[in-house]
Amino acid sequence: MAALESPPPGTPSAMRHAFGSVLSALILLLIGVLAFSIRLFSVIKYESVIHEFDPYFNYRVTQFLSKNGIYEFWNWFDDRTWYPLGRVIGGTVYPGLTLTAGTIWWVLNSLNIPLSVETVCVFTAPVFSAFASWATYLLTKEVKGSGAGLAAAALLAMVPSYISRSVAGSYDNEAVAIFALIFTFYLYIKTLNTGSLFYATLNAIAYFYMVCSWGGYTFIINLIPMHVLLCIVTGRYSPRLYIAYAPLVVLGTLLAALVPVVGFNAVLTSEHFASFLVFIIIHVIALVYYIKGILSPKMFKVAVTLVVSIGLVVCFIVVAVLVALVASSPTKGWSGRSLSLLDPTYASKYIPIIASVSEHQPPTWPSYFMDINVLAFLVPAGIVACFSPLSDASSFVVLYIVMSVYFSGVMVRLMLVLAPAACIMSGIALSQAFDVFTASIKYHLSGSSNSKDDAEDKTSTNNASKDDGSAGKTDKGEESAKERSSRKGKKKEREPADKPSVKSKIVKKKALVLPFEASIVALLLLIMLGAFYVIHCVWAAAEAYSAPSIVLTSQSRDGLHVFDDFRESYAWLSHNTDVDDKVASWWDYGYQTTAMANRTVIVDNNTWNNTHIATVGTAMSSPEKAAWEIFNSLDVKYVLVVFGGLIGYPSDDINKFLWMVRIGGGVFPHIKEADYLRDGQYRIDSEATPTMLNCLMYKLSYYRFVETDGKGFDRVRRTEIGKKNFKLTHFDEVFTSHHWMVRIYKLKPQKNRIRGRAKKLKLKTSSSKSAKKNPWI
Amino acid sequence: MVVGTNLASRFFLFTALLFAAPISFADSEHDSDLIAELISLRSAADSGVIRLDDDGVSRFLTSVSTPRPYSLIIFFDAVDLHSKSEFRLVELRREFEIVSASFIANNNGSDVTKLFFCEIDSTHSAASFHRFAVESLPHICLVDPWMDNLQDESGQMERGDFEGLAESMAEFVERRTKLTVGPIHRPPLLSKTQIAIITALIVISIPILIKKVLKGETLLHDHRVWLSGAVFVYFFSVAGTMHNIIRKVPMFLRDHEDPSNIVFFYGDSEFQLGTEGFAVGFLYTVVGLILAYVTNALVVYLDNWKTGYEIHPYWPSSWH
Repeated sequence: MAALESPPPGTPSAMRHAFGSVLSALILLLIGVLAFSIRLFSVIKYESVIHEFDPYFNYRVTQFLSKNGIYEFWNWFDDRTWYPLGRVIGGTVYPGLTLTAGTIWWVLNSLNIPLSVETVCVFTAPVFSAFASWATYLLTKEVKGSGAGLAAAALLAMVPSYISRSVAGSYDNEAVAIFALIFTFYLYIKTLNTGSLFYATLNAIAYFYMVCSWGGYTFIINLIPMHVLLCIVTGRYSPRLYIAYAPLVVLGTLLAALVPVVGFNAVLTSEHFASFLVFIIIHVIALVYYIKGILSPKMFKVAVTLVVSIGLVVCFIVVAVLVALVASSPTKGWSGRSLSLLDPTYASKYIPIIASVSEHQPPTWPSYFMDINVLAFLVPAGIVACFSPLSDASSFVVLYIVMSVYFSGVMVRLMLVLAPAACIMSGIALSQAFDVFTASIKYHLSGSSNSKDDAEDKTSTNNASKDDGSAGKTDKGEESAKERSSRKGKKKEREPADKPSVKSKIVKKKALVLPFEASIVALLLLIMLGAFYVIHCVWAAAEAYSAPSIVLTSQSRDGLHVFDDFRESYAWLSHNTDVDDKVASWWDYGYQTTAMANRTVIVDNNTWNNTHIATVGTAMSSPEKAAWEIFNSLDVKYVLVVFGGLIGYPSDDINKFLWMVRIGGGVFPHIKEADYLRDGQYRIDSEATPTMLNCLMYKLSYYRFVETDGKGFDRVRRTEIGKKNFKLTHFDEVFTSHHWMVRIYKLKPQKNRIRGRAKKLKLKTSSSKSAKKNPWI
Repeated sequence: MVVGTNLASRFFLFTALLFAAPISFADSEHDSDLIAELISLRSAADSGVIRLDDDGVSRFLTSVSTPRPYSLIIFFDAVDLHSKSEFRLVELRREFEIVSASFIANNNGSDVTKLFFCEIDSTHSAASFHRFAVESLPHICLVDPWMDNLQDESGQMERGDFEGLAESMAEFVERRTKLTVGPIHRPPLLSKTQIAIITALIVISIPILIKKVLKGETLLHDHRVWLSGAVFVYFFSVAGTMHNIIRKVPMFLRDHEDPSNIVFFYGDSEFQLGTEGFAVGFLYTVVGLILAYVTNALVVYLDNWKTGYEIHPYWPSSWH
């Protein structure tokens, strides 16, 4: 891959070339090993276990796929979730990840390597991280040569932002999608550079894989048209651009429509319209260039007015049709998530369920430092490097970094899309800086030993590929000169101007080389920066991003504490409840309950039905009796709450409770956020409002809590709770985990209504207070 | 202020007239006088919002026996609080004016004399604030013809009613007074002549622009514009500006204990202050630019590396 125009064999330069290729391959192999192994901290520190929430769903789907085969998976209607609605899994998931892991498992098993589905799922992400870093190498190599490619690949192998989504066990769409994203971009650039239909076809297939894997594919289908438009506007249109773009739109859209979850959205939603608009524009431009080629300049001037005006009219008509189409749909054809990218204040205003997710918050500068670290300092240098000289490929990566950095500023989750761009840019910057500094040092060293020619030879071999490239270009360039646009022509004018200075290169370089000491210092600084990056990444991988969040640990004076309450409770559920019992919890725990306890849940992390979630939120925010009625109407048998007050686990249900109120109140207006706040403050101590102290979530969380220490001190909120001694009237506590993190309650059964007995009871119990409250006894 | 003094002098004139007139006017005559007075005040005021002071309140409200022949809807304003954006007084007052102007424009018959839009400013009319028991701003209240006790909270517009601005204010008025406000006339962002000029300019400039684009002489063809744009977007994002916009973060805070001490850095990684973000974003950007300067501007050598490719059919050339 490294040598496109290989020099004649036997010469020293060929030897050097071969040596360089072998070395590059070795380095790439090591980078792959690094990318894989830096993500194993979670396995070493904890165990080989699936992490967090969404991965459990993917794991469950993969299990189903490996057990029942692809057709069953495609038609799978899941009745274990969103009770009583159910969910069509086959048509609503991005199947890329599941199919990938399923295929790996199948291949391994047919090779008689008996790995469990879980093991394959756990290690899918690290394996694909290695692939992603190789894809980064290829992409950056197309932009700025092998040196930059290797630097970028090494940086990507350990960029914390990507590690956070791809540690072993983090079995989520992003794990394979980032590889697919980079690889699609690589193939696009490759097509753009070669003009080969072969790569264009591969590009469409890679895009298809990306569509299968992640909803983030809309980033590709908007970024590439933007780049094409940018090229056209800045006069960089070429037939290569056409070959890179047109097949992608045609084949890519057809293939994307094959994925059930996308389907006709690929032609119907506004996210895709940009690509069609640019598709029309590029045809108009292509026509202009074609006509220019066959007409004399004079005729062309006449024709250009004609063609451009017709083209404009067509464009206006299409735009008008599109606007009319878009305006007729209520959300203007945009999904909530993409709208919140364009108007960042949209989600926080109108869609609490999107705003409630912490990964949809806008990041602050510490997030950038944490997630891309020193790359944040190197990126501007990379941008500048891409502008000298600006090629089609380098303009693409500039556009990529600009768009992704803006979007990451809106949603912290999109930092993941920024990370590859930042790595590419920093790789370019680093490699260029190293190039310059080492060349200066070499020049000075060789200058002292009076072998200037040798120094020149060395510096030019640093740019060996560059010189080769330009040499190859001048040969073929003349043939294709006619085909090239006037823009290209302008560039060619510049080239001869450059040519004479190749001869005077030696003179020029001598004059402008950096001073020896400065180069050494700058080199040392860069190495220190790189070392700091490595240290930070290893720290982030080991400490910050490896926690599976299903098993928690805490280090205290008396040693390591392990909190395995979640699995304990899910195991309890699966062993002690009937297989068809329904379990209600906040949606965060839906996937885990279905995957680990195999029980039916009311809502889960796929938040597709806001009303259903609001119903659960309302139940949690209502007093006991009303909540019992809501849950009973949903056939719920058990209610599960997560409580961190005893051990100080901050992301428990009490902390999420305001979102339940907000989401519930969004659909059922009798739930008002203000009723749960005392003077605008959320509190659970004795100052809390009566509504707060009587709602189901408070009661289920703090029931019998006072028995633990006698005071009822909540370690998360750092206060004593407001209502300490109370009894539950409609719920029975059936299970509380070891550290009280998960508490499971059973709905009390409704007693038969016997008229006489009820009357008698009424008479009998009218004196006693406690029984009066409870109509069920 | 000129308008204010002007109005005040008018009031004195009216009061003088009132006292000079014999007191034994019939009620109906008195009523129609008051209405005529209100109408003349309204026509003098901008967008029909009458500025009441303490005298005006006593004249048009307290001294008139119920049922009064008109309703007043009163916006309580405080000029000295206009600078504080969290009260949204300026914005609400503008919306109030829009409702008033729309009401006058949409109603021609007798309805127009049944409702008057007024405002009371705290700086000149503190007594009225007291009389209405206004404790917090923004405060808008409707005094219907039967209301005796001005401190009655039933006429008060609830916060939810002015959240949706002019439309929901109008809805409130319609609900309470059974009068129709009609469609809200918002002043257009650009007047018709402006729009015409702009379209004319665009139409004229299109051919010129196309010619420029074809020649490749626009600003878009200047690499420096793109470069600075890209670096700016980068700076904008890594500084967390979007976070500051969405969360409406102030540039800096004042220390609670010592107000002269200004806090620039907030001790929480989930939150940042404006200045803090810009400072660090600037640092992020500048370091990179220095590196770029060192490698690109100080050392110039000819970089002839370009994409040495040509167009060829389906298979990559190296495969032949």
